[in-house]
Amino acid sequence: MEMTFKRSIHELQAIVAATDLFFSERRTDPALRLPVDLSIEELFVNMVKYNRGTNHDITLRLDWIGDAVEVSLTDHDVEPYDPTCVPELDVDAPLAARRPRGMGLYLVSKMVDAIHYEYRNRESKVTFTKRMAQDHA
Amino acid sequence: MLDIRYGEDRHVLLVGRLDAAQAATAQAFLDEVAPPCVIDAGGLEYISSAGLGVLLKTHKRLAAAGSGIRLINVNPHVHDVFRYSGMDKLFSVTCST
Repeated sequence: MEMTFKRSIHELQAIVAATDLFFSERRTDPALRLPVDLSIEELFVNMVKYNRGTNHDITLRLDWIGDAVEVSLTDHDVEPYDPTCVPELDVDAPLAARRPRGMGLYLVSKMVDAIHYEYRNRESKVTFTKRMAQDHA
Repeated sequence: MLDIRYGEDRHVLLVGRLDAAQAATAQAFLDEVAPPCVIDAGGLEYISSAGLGVLLKTHKRLAAAGSGIRLINVNPHVHDVFRYSGMDKLFSVTCST
């Protein structure tokens, strides 16, 4: 399934609706949905916030690869930015030192099974996979 | 969508999805909440880093006044997000049974 979305956080509702449709096509592990939704949102919002030199829509693609979901987001006509190179978050830091910034991509890195970034012809593409638990595969 | 309002015992009820598109709505509500702040997250299906940022800001404000926030009835999938982010070390996050 492939769709495009405008560069706005208000597209998140439409993205969730599209993801609902994708997941409705087969019986899945309920634990799969939140990490997939969260990773899509964090990567999408990151593109909207930081790739400001383009007006192109962002392409979202979802596929089943065996018992795993493979998701890619592609941003067009942008400078390279690798969201897989995220600094480690100090989850033991005291309250005064905690900031929201950096938390989103850190969560993605912890919640998906694999993540890959490629930049070609001014296109930034990030792909992640999330597998179903064994008892649901 | 997100629904945020007061329930019984002045607990804040958080229902639906707390994502980047809903964060401003949640923040505006929570900015007006006085301590003690108990958030019943039994109906919270989803939270992203934007939602965590709202709760972090609220907790900092109320902690400075000597209290903080407390989340109850958090579903196990949502609880994972608090655990991975370490937010469960900053304030009380109680899972639903």
